[in-house]
Amino acid sequence: MRTHIFTLLLSGSLLLNGAEVSVPIEKYTLSNGMRVILSRDKAVPVVSVYVMYGVGARSEERGRTGFAHLFEHMMFQGSSNAPKGVHFKTVESNGGNLNGSTHSDYTDYFEVLPSNKVAVGLWLESDRMRSLAITDENLTNQKEAVKQERRLSFDNQPYATAIVDHWPMLAFKNWQSYHSLIGSYEDLNAASVKDVSAFFKTYYAPNNAILVLSGDIDNAAAKKLIQTYFGDIPAQPQPKHPDLSEPPDAAPGTKVYKDPLANVPGVVTGYPGPKRRSADYYSLAMLDVLLTGGESSRFQLNLVKGKQSVVSYEANLGWPFGDASDYKDPNMYAMFFIHKPNFTGKQIVDQAQEEFAKIQKEPVDPKELARARTFLLASRLNSLQSSLTRARLLAQYELFDGKPELINTELGLYAAVTPEQIQAAAKKYLTPEKRSVLEIVPAPKEAKP
Amino acid sequence: MRCYFAILIAGAVLTAQTVDRTKPPETQPLPAFKLPPVYETKLPNGLAIVLVEDSRFPLVTVRLTFAAGSKFDPKDLPGLADSTAALLTEGTAKRTSRQLAEEVASIGGTLNGRSTPDTLVLAGGSLAENAPKLIELVADVAQNASFPKDEVELQKQNRLQNLLQQRSEPNFLAQEKFAAVLYGSHPYSRIAPTPASLEKLDAAAVKAFRDARIVPNNAVLILLGKLPSRAAALKLIEADFGSWKQKPINDPPPAVAPEARRQVVLVDRPGSVQADIRAGQLAITRRNPEYVPLVVGTTILGGGASSRLFNSIREKKGYAYSVHSYVDARRESSALTAVTQVRNEVVEPAMQELLGELETIGKERVSAEELTSVKNYLSGRFVMGLESQNGLIEQLNLVKSMALPNDYLETYTTRIRAVEPDQIQRAAAKFISPGRAAIVVVGDAEKIGKSLEKFGNVQVVKSN
Repeated sequence: MRTHIFTLLLSGSLLLNGAEVSVPIEKYTLSNGMRVILSRDKAVPVVSVYVMYGVGARSEERGRTGFAHLFEHMMFQGSSNAPKGVHFKTVESNGGNLNGSTHSDYTDYFEVLPSNKVAVGLWLESDRMRSLAITDENLTNQKEAVKQERRLSFDNQPYATAIVDHWPMLAFKNWQSYHSLIGSYEDLNAASVKDVSAFFKTYYAPNNAILVLSGDIDNAAAKKLIQTYFGDIPAQPQPKHPDLSEPPDAAPGTKVYKDPLANVPGVVTGYPGPKRRSADYYSLAMLDVLLTGGESSRFQLNLVKGKQSVVSYEANLGWPFGDASDYKDPNMYAMFFIHKPNFTGKQIVDQAQEEFAKIQKEPVDPKELARARTFLLASRLNSLQSSLTRARLLAQYELFDGKPELINTELGLYAAVTPEQIQAAAKKYLTPEKRSVLEIVPAPKEAKP
Repeated sequence: MRCYFAILIAGAVLTAQTVDRTKPPETQPLPAFKLPPVYETKLPNGLAIVLVEDSRFPLVTVRLTFAAGSKFDPKDLPGLADSTAALLTEGTAKRTSRQLAEEVASIGGTLNGRSTPDTLVLAGGSLAENAPKLIELVADVAQNASFPKDEVELQKQNRLQNLLQQRSEPNFLAQEKFAAVLYGSHPYSRIAPTPASLEKLDAAAVKAFRDARIVPNNAVLILLGKLPSRAAALKLIEADFGSWKQKPINDPPPAVAPEARRQVVLVDRPGSVQADIRAGQLAITRRNPEYVPLVVGTTILGGGASSRLFNSIREKKGYAYSVHSYVDARRESSALTAVTQVRNEVVEPAMQELLGELETIGKERVSAEELTSVKNYLSGRFVMGLESQNGLIEQLNLVKSMALPNDYLETYTTRIRAVEPDQIQRAAAKFISPGRAAIVVVGDAEKIGKSLEKFGNVQVVKSN
């Protein structure tokens, strides 16, 4: 398994042989403040009904780690007219697919449905936004499900504990950013029905939500349905955003984590990143493509091949919980290497630093940069084939930038990045004194009989 | 301005209609959706060609698939097909590994080899305007891979580290042991190389495998997307693949899969905080008429979040985060598989619940409501999978590599809709039988060994 997880959610208006590919956008706001984006594409009779709430794990309070995610589970436990079990059943029996996910700075919910069933998705999403069933029984049951999820996805997996619980403590000084996103067992146990109700009222109001319909829709009919189902859900006072600021000149952290579940060593390293959508952000994102995008990237050719030290790698603005598309500062440009045991984590970090140094010393070859731009364009086109990806991207651009149209224009900003700008960003951000390092060392197994 | 517009709409609608929120809304029937037309032909050297014009996106997607999967690995070299697949793109007589990587990237492309139990697949794609170059690159790696010594050596080393990493994951250990237990001496029993086989593997072995099986008369080329005209596409294909020599293929006689029987195997993973459970038995291939009823039954049992297993094991009992069942179908067989991960303390009741559900579906007719619901679920998801070129080409590739009838995709949802409760019950009684289900659990033997004794004679094996 080679994980070159470079995320595709970056670009914009796509010029190919003179033919422009563009994602249609109609955006408006209901009187209760809910933002709506309609994006019609009739290629396949499928529609994605997508709701994003402007609250994530970084909004949690002390003593309530993991609460945003626990709450996400509660959203599937029933509402006034769609009691427990009905949500899953209705979507699946109508030929659809559904899920939700909690991120650092947002939480999202979706139904992908045959396009004639768009009203079913709207009915379900509006019913839980209006009248979530918050009961003790549901909460107790979902605490167990979340603990079980923690055991499955974190406690029982190599690298996961180190990356999810230890890395953020090196990367950030502000509790809002470094606390456990999945939550401690103690905090999960302490969550009460009252907490759930308060969280719902504060953050799950229409004025803190973005609804996107993408796929095979009729805009006029969709607007009527949206007004019918969501129009009279009352607005609430606009929630406060958490203070995420990091102390200036915070010292980077280093740590060695002994992982009893890992067989192969790994190392995480990262550098405080730029402001979202600043010139430096685009420069670093292009640099990331040069380093990690595809089989001809520098990490692949120089570390996996040349030095034969790295086995696989991941890197991103916002790694490990996000990528450039949902990157919100303060955040890191971070990366994870799994490497051969005859190298130390420190050596691997030095090798990565050498790759940055090459770019700091000498601007990248325009030919190499052109290849990276093409890679970006193709990745973006591939990802846009999915109505769900289009919906998520539109909502992210709306939430973070107030500009869903970036889906059609942002590639231009990436394409405009020059070798000199990449060089300057590498010099400014990727210096050894700014890097945090987490080595993950396989722990000696207990003596076996 | 946006708000003003929205408010106007709001006013109009609020006076125009009220809505009954207590019921799901009534909806119109789904508009018909037709798969794009498929054109098929064959080159004189036996290479089967499939062209599908799909101009939704300015991209092309390609699969070149050979009957050269891991089931053809020599007994002492598991992982040979896997390594061959990975090494095809690491250098040819014309291009170094680096040149290949750079040329692929410069056309907005991807090109990778992978192996499955039945096939070896070269999978790729590029911007539509670069289709000619993509076809040429696929042809080059298929015909001229040179397997340079240093690339083979590096692939072995990295695959070994990757294997060690996989073996630290409970899910992989469960998959590996489950295949071994179900398939016995059948070649499907091996899903990965071993450190010993990787040690032994060399350029000569890879080359021999390639020479024997990566030949045109053992392959199908599928090209899908915004293509050049049919004549132009065929001309490109003939130019790049026409001189490729065909060869006789020596297929080993088909292996016989063992009879299903109850076995309980515990893979000891000290320190595991939960138990990874797999239960199931071998079943039928996609070509068997009972396959579709079996899939419908398996979906009622454990497909998605309204299935019986999800409702009992996750929602009612809170034993697990994830529980599901599916038919893992290969060309010569399939494995009915139920999977869950539960905390150590509830292994026994969770197993009982799981086996109880396996039993019920073969004993009692499914309700009309459950059946309709699952038919919609399966049909809806099928259409959803066709949103992307990759989704569509994988379906076409399945039809070709599993030797399914040409109308398989077109008639899929109709066949799903035609399934009757009796057919499900009959298929389930044969293939979802708890009495014949093999059980594989990965977990801490000290903590969970006892809980498994109820279910049979527990064979404990080491995880490493």
